[in-house]
Amino acid sequence: MRDNKLYQIMVFFAIWLVVGLLLGLAFKEQTRLRTAELPSARLPELARAYVQEKQSNAALEEEIRQLRQKINELENAFASGTKQAQVLNQSLQEAKMIAGLLEVEGPGIELILQDSKRKPQGDSPELLPELYTIHDYDLLRVVNELRQAGAEAISINGQRVVATTGIRCTGPVVFINDVKMASPFTVLAIGDPKTLVGALEMPGGALADLKSVDPKMVQIKQLDKVRVPAYSGSTQFRYAKPVPPEGGQP
Amino acid sequence: MIGVGLVGLILGVIIASVALDIPLPEEWAAYLSLAALAGLDTAFGGWRAALEGRFHPDVFVSGFIVNALLAALLAYLGDRIGVDLFLAAVVTLGGRMFLNLSLIRRYYLNQFALRRQRG
Repeated sequence: MRDNKLYQIMVFFAIWLVVGLLLGLAFKEQTRLRTAELPSARLPELARAYVQEKQSNAALEEEIRQLRQKINELENAFASGTKQAQVLNQSLQEAKMIAGLLEVEGPGIELILQDSKRKPQGDSPELLPELYTIHDYDLLRVVNELRQAGAEAISINGQRVVATTGIRCTGPVVFINDVKMASPFTVLAIGDPKTLVGALEMPGGALADLKSVDPKMVQIKQLDKVRVPAYSGSTQFRYAKPVPPEGGQP
Repeated sequence: MIGVGLVGLILGVIIASVALDIPLPEEWAAYLSLAALAGLDTAFGGWRAALEGRFHPDVFVSGFIVNALLAALLAYLGDRIGVDLFLAAVVTLGGRMFLNLSLIRRYYLNQFALRRQRG
């Protein structure tokens, strides 16, 4: 009987021990989940990582710029050789010009788009806060309008808009050429200043909506000389391959 | 016997929070909590049985295991078929815990009253 009593007590102890273990584990697990859901605990860490990434990014971009310059120099050196090489280099420079790989300057406009400082008042559905901020579609319409009006080179906040450029909102920021940016957006365009401004200010055009919400969101300047930077992103084609011309040259 | 249980509980929590560091998948968290609830229910049941003098280790242990498994199974099943079945486990086990605790409380109150009567 004494043995039995001891056995009972041991079982009792063991079960409570297991219950304690389970409770402790469950408690710990829930705490872990909760902290995992709240990124604020990891914010300083993330901020540091972000700054590091940004710095290395800037360094890499600088490297790209220098390497591209070197390529230019080498091309020029090569061109000073034979007549054939000169012709080749000329068409190469033309192609680079079209592709947006050269820094260019000329007459054009500077357009600054920024989020309105006014707050929507009242709560009619027409006064959505979205109307008071600059979105990807605003930029897309502007770029489209500028191209239609004959703009030869366009950049947004230092990012050259080329054939492969995407302009896309992701949360509160806009990605252009995979570079994050936010308001204000400075759009530079080279072309006939009067035509460009006219196209942008067309009634019902790209800027009409913004201006109707808050005229201060839009500022346009005509300039004699605009400098548009070269495209500094990747120029690698991973999927597209050139097709040899039909009827086949060897 | 009750003191032993309490010591076991505290020891278990301490071991779990200090020594054990098992990285469990996130999906298991709910089942773990339910198993802990079932365990707590069984432990209360055992306490009450011990007070009433009809504590059987085999009933106790099997009750613990089966309850914990059933609770986890219900939660899993509920997840699969889109009904919050784990609520059934929570309500049943929680209700039973209150019941057991009230019986335990009465037992001690009775004892206390008896002792006072005797002087």
